[in-house]
Amino acid sequence: MIITTEKALSTATELFENWVWKTRTEKPEPNRLDVYLRSSEDLIPMTVGLRVQRLGYLAAITGLDLGPETKECELLYHFCTAAAIVTLRFRVPRDGAIVPSLCSVIPSAEVFEREASEMFGITFHGLRNPDHLYLPDDWPEKTYPLLKDFNPEVLKTLHDREPDNGK
Amino acid sequence: MRLNGHFLRNTMEEIKTWARINSPWVLHFNSGSCNGCDIEILAALTPRYDLERFGIKLRGSPRHADVLLCTGGVTLQQADRLRRIYEQMPEPKFVVAIGSCALSGGVFQGCYNICGGIEKVIPVNAYIPGCPPRPEAIIDGVYKLLASLKPAERALEPSSHEYGDRAEVNS
Amino acid sequence: MESKRQDERFIIPIGPQHPALKEPAHFRITVDGEIITNAVVRLGYAHRGIEKATESRNWVQNIYLVERICGICSHIHATAYCLGVERLAGVEVPPRAQTLRVLVAELERIHSHLLWLGVAAHEAGFDTLFMYSWRDRETVMDLLENVSGNRVNYSVNLLGGVKIDIDNQISDTIREGLAFLEERTLHYLDVVSNDMAFLQRTRGIGVLTRSQADVLGCVGPVARASNVPRDVRVEAPYGAYQQYPVNIVLVEKGDLEARFIVRLKELLESYRIIREILDTLPPGELTTRMPRRIKEGETISRVEAPRGELFYFIKSNGTDTPERVKVRTPTICNMLSVLKLAVGHQLADLPMILAGIDPCFSCNDRVAIIDHRRKSPEIWTWQDLRQYGIEYYNGHSR
Repeated sequence: MIITTEKALSTATELFENWVWKTRTEKPEPNRLDVYLRSSEDLIPMTVGLRVQRLGYLAAITGLDLGPETKECELLYHFCTAAAIVTLRFRVPRDGAIVPSLCSVIPSAEVFEREASEMFGITFHGLRNPDHLYLPDDWPEKTYPLLKDFNPEVLKTLHDREPDNGK
Repeated sequence: MRLNGHFLRNTMEEIKTWARINSPWVLHFNSGSCNGCDIEILAALTPRYDLERFGIKLRGSPRHADVLLCTGGVTLQQADRLRRIYEQMPEPKFVVAIGSCALSGGVFQGCYNICGGIEKVIPVNAYIPGCPPRPEAIIDGVYKLLASLKPAERALEPSSHEYGDRAEVNS
Repeated sequence: MESKRQDERFIIPIGPQHPALKEPAHFRITVDGEIITNAVVRLGYAHRGIEKATESRNWVQNIYLVERICGICSHIHATAYCLGVERLAGVEVPPRAQTLRVLVAELERIHSHLLWLGVAAHEAGFDTLFMYSWRDRETVMDLLENVSGNRVNYSVNLLGGVKIDIDNQISDTIREGLAFLEERTLHYLDVVSNDMAFLQRTRGIGVLTRSQADVLGCVGPVARASNVPRDVRVEAPYGAYQQYPVNIVLVEKGDLEARFIVRLKELLESYRIIREILDTLPPGELTTRMPRRIKEGETISRVEAPRGELFYFIKSNGTDTPERVKVRTPTICNMLSVLKLAVGHQLADLPMILAGIDPCFSCNDRVAIIDHRRKSPEIWTWQDLRQYGIEYYNGHSR
């Protein structure tokens, strides 16, 4: 029942090397396997593949802003089994990216996806409750704090807001 | 008769102040702190430090509280709630800012979701610095606030101006 | 707003403020009579924007920033960060420093579990246990102060080592403290598994089966109470845990009682590890040299915080500030389990179920019960709800 780190990594490597579409895999550290997806469309089939093999649980979704010049963000889905970490990663446009939601496969993805959507402006298709999770409800629209060109000046009105006594 | 009425009112005020000093009820509010100060406040209430020996009692509702213990820099979501809770407290009310973040924003100064210290949102009567302050420092700060309310140091009409005295406490 | 709903269904907003729990969160609980039918969470009342702030501070300044993500598990946050940065820089930390990190981490786990025991007992209306466990917690706070000089933010970690060292005198103080705590812990273990009044509130409440815990991605004591062997110290030993292996504590039942037992047995395990460390602390240097700029690269650092797996993703771009630091705290993983667990339970069980995962966000104070039949909103405080829970069980002895 308990899968060891080596077993997990070899199963995952096998799984992705024989994948229908050719994917690039890399081993940046001995216990990690990075799988570069062609696009976000591969995400759900690959996650199902991982789940069928009982490989890992979704530990986190990391968003990376590759900078305004590249016009791209990267999403990293980390799956952990013992010490092994399998990361599915793919790039999305910085503006108006739409990514399928994992909620139907892994319910706990909801919180991570809500976080990524408010921090990076990525829309998750099929997310049941796309409201703000961390940021205030009156947060300015189209302002995503973890993008590199985020300018805190836009929040000045929120920071210096006077008390409204009329409630 | 007028003299008597005045006397009665003064006596009543004296009794009220005496009662307030001897049993202030406090409310604890986390406006975006890291928990460090909050657990030290709780520690101050538990047997080792036992803040209750000064008659201080932790209440859950702002409507019952005399003193508001605030921890943490104020986040954007909490600013309005802090104001609302402050407004719900009955007069006279006192605010104690506990910890470096509550004083100035501390290590989180400049974070996008932090407005600044407590005093940016509501008036503060006592400041207790430290990251986090030890329970002894919290007890000392609250005690100094209470001492500043004693009639010798304070006018008998407590609500003559809106926010009470500002007793700066350094501990 | 919800007036179109069926007659007996109410929405209960809870939060965001509460004296006994620590951080604020907001829940919207839908109830049908007494039974919870849906629960939704809204976080972010303590969201400060730390991940963004790490990008504008240098590698060293960030230790002090991540230490203040959470005041209860400050050491483990700094450890996770330092382990990651050291791996990126390719620096090997001296064994003595690694062992001292584990020592402080285990002391921190003791303080955190005792704190939780008190808070959870308070939610059940068992204030005697609350006061006793917090009194005993002061013992470990003294030990931590003895070791590091601080009660809460220990500031033990440096990039490339630790700041503190212990001598024989401190070792003896720690041993003495542990002897007292061990005796008390055995007593608490007896109380939580035999006290009938307390068991009414914990046994069979909030059951999370093994497969549920697995699918929901629970971590830490919550997962282990459901027999899911998920403990980073065992699965992927980091730092000195290779030299001081941890015996994983597993309980099968998955209810609240199991979560109490798991945490208390983990305390005993922590005492054992600390004693072993004190007996065999390797001699040597405390720090090693760290470069100011960290090589380009990405790394993932996982450690076991008192509440479960803590996950750091660190990306460096070769300068003296990080490109990205991503922090995933254990509570966010377990929170979903709470929402699932609460469904189908009595409203009276909610405080205990919430406390059961040891939430690191939950400061719930004002509870508004909106009764759509009478259309009169009725505000409850968290105390009222807690009191309601206690009285409910007084009237319904099972």
